[in-house]
Amino acid sequence: MIHSKPAPDAQLKTQLAAPRQTLLMRLTLKAIPKKLRLRWQKWLAKRIPASRQFTLSHKSIFILPSAFGLAWVGLILLLYLFGTNYQNNLIIGLSLLLASLFQTCIIYSYKNLAGLRLSAIKNPQIYAGGTASFAVELSHHDLGLAASQSNPHGSRDNRHQQICLRFANQHHVRVKHVINEQLTYVPLDNCQRGRLNPGRITVESYFPLGLCRTWSYVDLDLQQIIFAKPKPYEIILSAADKEAQEDEHGLQRAGVSEFNELRAYVPGESLKQVAWKQWAQGKGLLTKTFSQPQGKPLWLLLANITGHDIEERLSKLAWQVDELSRRQQVFGVVLDNAHTIEQNIGDSHRITCQQAIALFQTKSGRDEEASHAG
Amino acid sequence: MQDNFDSHIGRSTLFWLLLTNIAILSPLFDKIMPWSIGICAICFLWRVGIYFGRVAAPPKLLVTSLAIGAATTLGLVASQIGALNALVNLLLLGYALKYIEMRQVRDVKVLVLVGYFLIGFSLLEYNSILNTLHLLLVSTINTCVLISLYQEQSQPAMESLPESRGNVRITRSKSSLLNLSQFKFSLKLLAQSLPLALILFVVFPRLPPLWLMPSMDNARTGLSNEMAFGDISQLTRSAELAFRVGFDSKSQGRLANQDLYWRTLVLDEYDGKTWHQHPSMQAIQTLVRQIKPTQSTPDLQGHNNKSIAYNIISEPSYQKWLYGLDVATSDDPKLTMLPDHRLYALNDITQRFSYAVVSYPNAVMDRELSKTIASISLQLPKGLNPQTLALAAQFKLDYPKPSDRLAAMMSYFNRQAFFYTLSPPPLGKQQVDDFLFNNKAGFCAHYASALVYMARATGLPARVVAGYQGGEYNPEAGYYSVYQYMAHAWAEVWLEGQGWQRFDPTAMIAPERILDGFDASFDGASSYLSDTLFTSLRFKHTPWLNDLRYKMASLDYYWSLWVLGFDETKKQQVLDKLFGDISLSQLAMIILGLSSVILLLIAYSAGLLHFSFEDKLNRRYLSICQRLINKGLVETKAQVNSQAPLAPIAPMAPITPMAPPQRFAAEIAPKLTQVNPKLAKQFAGFSALYIALKYQNLPPKQRRLKQKRFHALYRKLRFGLLVN
Repeated sequence: MIHSKPAPDAQLKTQLAAPRQTLLMRLTLKAIPKKLRLRWQKWLAKRIPASRQFTLSHKSIFILPSAFGLAWVGLILLLYLFGTNYQNNLIIGLSLLLASLFQTCIIYSYKNLAGLRLSAIKNPQIYAGGTASFAVELSHHDLGLAASQSNPHGSRDNRHQQICLRFANQHHVRVKHVINEQLTYVPLDNCQRGRLNPGRITVESYFPLGLCRTWSYVDLDLQQIIFAKPKPYEIILSAADKEAQEDEHGLQRAGVSEFNELRAYVPGESLKQVAWKQWAQGKGLLTKTFSQPQGKPLWLLLANITGHDIEERLSKLAWQVDELSRRQQVFGVVLDNAHTIEQNIGDSHRITCQQAIALFQTKSGRDEEASHAG
Repeated sequence: MQDNFDSHIGRSTLFWLLLTNIAILSPLFDKIMPWSIGICAICFLWRVGIYFGRVAAPPKLLVTSLAIGAATTLGLVASQIGALNALVNLLLLGYALKYIEMRQVRDVKVLVLVGYFLIGFSLLEYNSILNTLHLLLVSTINTCVLISLYQEQSQPAMESLPESRGNVRITRSKSSLLNLSQFKFSLKLLAQSLPLALILFVVFPRLPPLWLMPSMDNARTGLSNEMAFGDISQLTRSAELAFRVGFDSKSQGRLANQDLYWRTLVLDEYDGKTWHQHPSMQAIQTLVRQIKPTQSTPDLQGHNNKSIAYNIISEPSYQKWLYGLDVATSDDPKLTMLPDHRLYALNDITQRFSYAVVSYPNAVMDRELSKTIASISLQLPKGLNPQTLALAAQFKLDYPKPSDRLAAMMSYFNRQAFFYTLSPPPLGKQQVDDFLFNNKAGFCAHYASALVYMARATGLPARVVAGYQGGEYNPEAGYYSVYQYMAHAWAEVWLEGQGWQRFDPTAMIAPERILDGFDASFDGASSYLSDTLFTSLRFKHTPWLNDLRYKMASLDYYWSLWVLGFDETKKQQVLDKLFGDISLSQLAMIILGLSSVILLLIAYSAGLLHFSFEDKLNRRYLSICQRLINKGLVETKAQVNSQAPLAPIAPMAPITPMAPPQRFAAEIAPKLTQVNPKLAKQFAGFSALYIALKYQNLPPKQRRLKQKRFHALYRKLRFGLLVN
């Protein structure tokens, strides 16, 4: 098959469907004793260890007939009985052909997953709430030692088709063809702030006839810190405790960073600061400059932010961190006495702050501190 | 059911469904009742409308009520049209209604499964080679539907424009109507599945029918169980095949045409108009499933017990009687032997039926005649045909010895001005008198009944036998074809000490009809070809076309014999021929071996396995390196890492051969030379060859040379490492 170079988003058709957990499945899950489930997890961890990159092979691919496959077997039996009772060899032959077709499909469905390489792509940031997407790159990797170019069978595009990826009890994403290096995003609903381990990705396919489910549970070591959900709020900057006492002028110095002027864009400058509106008006590329705050270093204090609960306050803080970073302003964050991030500037600083906010007063955050202390 | 990932039914799926619908329904159209055809057609048109976006899907209520209505109607008429016909109609209606009602991928799958079942159903009646190929094609199209569910179109660049039309969501794409790649893939899958299916077909056990199934109601063809004087002349107008016979090679080659009297029916009651079976025989026949008729072993005369073994493939006649020569016996469980030495099937012959027969032409048929049968065989209608009775009395007077009397009666037909015609003038009330004394023209039925009538009148038990006479020999495959126009009637007379003897008065009038077959005495065009316009029998007089006809016919014959008629005995024959005398476990091993070879081949063609030189090259190189490491001749990974931190080592590789071969060779050279200089030299050469073969673009001749040296060195190194 010949593929023209399609637009990347057209190649990858993401379709969301409701999470596939029926009542029956939940009941059966409950029926399995915890001990057994733990053992299964252990066995799985040994068989398919966590790794940022994983290539599916016979060790990690499971194949079982799907419900339709069972119906198919039923049809085969029915036809065989029908043929036997009418003593018609051709009907018996048809039933045997269908049985043989089933068998061929098993080979094809195995082939469809074998050699599929999944690589986790580093995810810069994921905010809580809404749907998080974990980027995974799908590609083909030959299991044997032969160079992939020497394979005369089938075009590369048709190696892996109709592959569905999802986290347990989550929406799936479906990849229709794996073409070269195919980037896909596996969704995860309702993430909470803090350190998140989304667990194993179920990689499954019903190709070619839907007779068997071919699947694998891949652990791509997708641990991720989920940032607090930003919530717009008034920016309250203040001097930190000691300085605040010295400075009688008090706490409020809001809205310092004012828009200053437009000047010609210099290649290499952040595109975030390009005045697109002016560019659209045909005035050429211009950069917005902001006046840098001079004077005392500024702190964002969690204590200064009001809200229903700690989560809302953290959300507001997260928004402020992003906003100040966008304005390229120097700031530090004080969460409480034990959690203080020194003033700095730039994206890495922003990430540090957000991570601290994300882990603040969460179980995983506390665990981490304990391990550091130890 | 967690089947497809979403419930969109793609456009190519819809298209294949349109095609499948016609393909599956068309072979069954004569089984469908007219109003079912109507509903199917409406459903189809509706679906076409939905496909082109002209109409919306029908409301669920309408479909449900239609389904319930159709099912009830069918239930009511089921007794009239037969259970099986009702079932087919029900399935077809369900198929058609589901077809317009389908909303989910799941519905499509149900359609596909029912489709396969309907294909199986068609095979019940349409089972010639061509029909089988046709239905195989239909299966391929049906499989396409499934493939289209799981394989996207070959053009990935398509705008997905989910559209809501009625309740069915259609994904539109710019692709062409016919998706050939899906068809090719379907064909490939089926073709790859065929070899294993064939093996299974041969070895899979054939069971006897597990329970009685209803059969199709069909117009019966061939002889009927009563014979009026016009009946056989109707049959002579039919060029349909009745049955085919293949004689076992052990029996003497070709039988002469005059020996081929295929007994089918014994008619021993005459009411002045028609001959029919006596009620007692009819009772035996209807009860044949419950009470097995007493079976007598053939009464052989000791000195001449010639037997003829042959195999008959009967075409569907929707009757139960079968064909056999003289005293016919068979041990086929699907049929039984009747007291009058005929064969009788337990079920209606609704499809080609193959059975083996052994006949004893010299056996005596009923040395003793029971009183009841004697009285039945002497019965005559009262007060009819006085002239015939007078003639019979005269014969009895002139020839007191029965055999002489019969010979005289036979020659009477010869001496008088009788002539043989397929369209005789009508007969009056005194049928036999009219024929013998007024018309003096008729065909086999007239002559046979006249002879039987006269024999009975003189006190000799006699009966009419209806069947077929002759057969067309196919030199290609060496079998006889018996057509409906070869239908014939003759007489059997019981003689003391000789049993029932065959007398064929037709042979006296038209001897060439018996000696050389029907075609010799009649022009086909005026009889069996007059009603059928298109039949290959028309080619009889064009030699090369006739040859072709024979070839096609023999193909069909072998098909019937070896595929349709394949059973446990045939299976044994095939296995014996292929493997000789082997045990069951050996056979199982062979089958297992063959199946795994097939699996490997499929896997290979699917692109799972590939054998290339490069593969071997790498494997051999790596295996030597591994061996060197195992011998402790090379430092482990950690050491190498510390010494040469720049060596690009694959993150997953546990050992050093993943390091560039040149560096690896250089690293191990000093230590290896220390331990074993010969090995070191060999390995250096081996490594150099590997590099050359892998990375250099060599001319083919040189490449071959290097490959040879590479493999030679490989063997030497392996041996060397093994010894050291």
